Amino acid sequence: MKNTLFKQIGTLVLAGLALTAMPTQAEAQPKVIRIGVAAPTVGNPPLFTLGSFGIAYTKGWFEEEFKKDGVKLEWTYFKGAGPAVNEALTNHQLDFALQGDLPSVIGRSSGLKTRLIAAATVRTNIYLATPPDSSIKSIKDLKGKRVAIFLGTNMQLVVDRILAANGLSERDLRVVNLDTGSLDAAIATKSVDAAFSFIDLLSLRDKGLAKIVYTNRGSDPTFTRQNALLVTDEFASQYPAATTRVVKALARGAHWVSQEANQPETFLLWSKMGFAESLLREDLSAEPLKAVQSPLLDAFFVSRYKDVAAASYQLKLARNKVEVDSWVDRRYLTEALKQLQLDGFWSPVDAAGKPVTTVASGK
Amino acid sequence: MTAASSIEKAPPPLPTSLPAPGLRLSTLRITALAGDFVKRFGLAATGLILPLLLLALWQHAASQHWIAEQLLPPPALVWQSLVELWGSGDLRSHIAVSLSRIGWSFLIGGSVGLALGFAMGLSRQLKAYLFPTFEVVAQFPVVGWIPLLIIFFGIGEALKISAISIAIVVPIVINTYKGIANIPNALLDVARVYRFDLPQVIARVVVPAALPSLFNGLRQGVMQAWLSLVFVELLAASEGIGYLMVWGRQLLQLDLVVVGMIAVGAIGVLLDVSLRLVEARLQRWRKVAF
Amino acid sequence: MSFIQKHITHRDWRGFVLPVGFLVIWTAVTAAGWVNTKLIVPPSDVIAAAYKYFTSGTFFSGLGASLGRDLAGFVLGSLVGVAFGSLVGLSRWANRLAGPTFHTLKHISLFAWLPLISTWLGQGDGAKIFFVALSAFYPVALGTIEGVQGVARAQVEVARVYAFNARQLLFKLVLPAASPQIIAGLHLALIYAWLATIGSEYLLAKSGPGLGDAVIQGKTAFNVGLVVFGMLLVGLIGYALNRIALRAEARVLRWRGRAS
Repeated sequence: MKNTLFKQIGTLVLAGLALTAMPTQAEAQPKVIRIGVAAPTVGNPPLFTLGSFGIAYTKGWFEEEFKKDGVKLEWTYFKGAGPAVNEALTNHQLDFALQGDLPSVIGRSSGLKTRLIAAATVRTNIYLATPPDSSIKSIKDLKGKRVAIFLGTNMQLVVDRILAANGLSERDLRVVNLDTGSLDAAIATKSVDAAFSFIDLLSLRDKGLAKIVYTNRGSDPTFTRQNALLVTDEFASQYPAATTRVVKALARGAHWVSQEANQPETFLLWSKMGFAESLLREDLSAEPLKAVQSPLLDAFFVSRYKDVAAASYQLKLARNKVEVDSWVDRRYLTEALKQLQLDGFWSPVDAAGKPVTTVASGK
Repeated sequence: MTAASSIEKAPPPLPTSLPAPGLRLSTLRITALAGDFVKRFGLAATGLILPLLLLALWQHAASQHWIAEQLLPPPALVWQSLVELWGSGDLRSHIAVSLSRIGWSFLIGGSVGLALGFAMGLSRQLKAYLFPTFEVVAQFPVVGWIPLLIIFFGIGEALKISAISIAIVVPIVINTYKGIANIPNALLDVARVYRFDLPQVIARVVVPAALPSLFNGLRQGVMQAWLSLVFVELLAASEGIGYLMVWGRQLLQLDLVVVGMIAVGAIGVLLDVSLRLVEARLQRWRKVAF
Repeated sequence: MSFIQKHITHRDWRGFVLPVGFLVIWTAVTAAGWVNTKLIVPPSDVIAAAYKYFTSGTFFSGLGASLGRDLAGFVLGSLVGVAFGSLVGLSRWANRLAGPTFHTLKHISLFAWLPLISTWLGQGDGAKIFFVALSAFYPVALGTIEGVQGVARAQVEVARVYAFNARQLLFKLVLPAASPQIIAGLHLALIYAWLATIGSEYLLAKSGPGLGDAVIQGKTAFNVGLVVFGMLLVGLIGYALNRIALRAEARVLRWRGRAS
């Protein structure tokens, strides 16, 4: 019973592989496309507005793309984020996943057959906060202090890099593993001396419960976390055209967000996910939205993922070292941008986060 | 004890055909022979049938790839991780940390639970004051307790112990209270006839009569302690069995989760058995008392 | 009508002493500024959170979804628990065969099963209901085993004299005699099922409406007012479920009193 099922899947995959070589018009349409997002929805009716993906979702552009073919989109939002998405992918419950860098590396290292097909909100900033009356003034002062970090998430890898740049390592600190909410509570009650986290710390600061001691914002874009859209090998090889169209909807969102004129509405939509508009604007003040929402799988993106792959292997978070170059598949994005006549709209950035002027888009 | 140790001791690359003769053997033995030897060893063997069958099913499922290897690690991999973690001392230190958390919580939560249960079981007045609040508070979700407890206890051991204690209190209070409330009035009347004072009533009537319920509550308290341990170690810890399991799931290394399950199961059974021994001893004393 | 009147006049005020006293102290210390009100928020913050929650329209869909999962899981888990408990309690064979496994498995945290549950049942309602059922199953099974094994041999002998068949033995003697323990198990199961309902909303990742949302969001954003409100909401609804169950329990036990 099971065996025949697997055989059938095998045949489908083979058929799919054969189809990739064919012109895309001949391709059959999937009945359902299952997309998983490693973030929760808010409210009722459920809202999800985060990033350019959230905007495209809220505007209904994914549905719009597939409406005429009668393809159904099935959305799953995961509160538990990374691990749950990986479990669902392993179980063949998803075709696409929007995931952070570390969880997807962990999934890949454990044998999940996926492809990275578009960046979706890159360069998420990091902050270090302390209680308001703390004497800690810089990263170097953290030596020997109790510092809260959400371990096992992509936050940990960025923190390690920041510490290393300051001649420290996790061992020099008394690291306390706390999830986001508990970490805020710990700073507020002065149970820890400092905490690394993201925009939540800004909201803690505004309540007068913390001060920000360090942020990479505006200084070093390599101390950031990335998100990307993944597709399963199975789906991508069977339905390359449909894959391109999903990327197209995402790119449309990214394009819309990148335009100056849409900023007020963008921030208004984003603020519905729980953080005040002023904080979101502050968090994103260092770079134009166009840069942060660039879907390009450029040198910067690849070098970030390579770092994550190397560090996660070194820290034994991942059992095998993930090879990034063969994981990234730019064909769908290139095709999508061409169809949208957006090639050249975003400029690729190099590994250090500086614009590359000589290379054409996305290649 | 038997079931857990069988999982640990069984060689991992178990041939799938093994449990079948085991089953036939033990049924044969027990049905055919009724000797003392068989009785003693047959009883242990019957308890092993189901775990062995499950182990065989697990091995079979893993080798047939019914479920992706990432989600159902094969027994051999789990065994290997277990040996590695035990050898490096990691597993032992995780167990030690968790056990000390459970121990303190059991002491605190257990005494509070027994006190509350006795108070509400013995005095209708106290029950009227306390029970409604207890019932609301008992249903506060653990997820919500954590931030509040951080405010009062910080993020050290006190946080973990208080959170686990809260979970332990609930089953102990309910079982103790119900055990006492269900004591037949006739028994209490007898005590009145004998003109027992309160300590005597408690020692000679209430405790012996409510003993099974009391221990039921304690055992369920231990169970709840393990459940919430995982929750607590999920949210704020970097060591302990619960943390190991959470970590394993986070990193999609489910063999670590299964190792954690085996450890929790084995320790749980040990605690259960020791509670039963204490109970049996007290039961004897109870018979003497009457 | 008279029932309601009776209910109101007989309302036991003593249960309110503790919460009201607590509320007074809470208001007093936050108003007097003896504590850091950014951490220990005043009751008004909780009321504000409550107002926002109830006006956002998430309440009824959340209540329906959570209660549905809770009851489905509770009923399922309890039925299986009573059946399994009776079997293991009555049959020495079943006890020998399944007892050790059951007593080992019961210690394994429900959390540990999550990856497997989500594998087999996904992350949606099916998985959540199963999770709730599992948490209700253990106390009911334990209570039933305890109760059934406690039925005195003498009583069974008497039943044999009256030539009860197996079904009569089970439904007329064993289960009624074991009902206090079974009901204690059910009572616990009701609480655990409710806790597991909220827990599953946190742990089983598929987003959807549920009453746990308030607590979970409050916790994630460290909004103490919202956390406290969420806990009260969950606690009070759990309390209401319990009241209903206790009334049912009183009825069942009264019936038992008459029957025996």
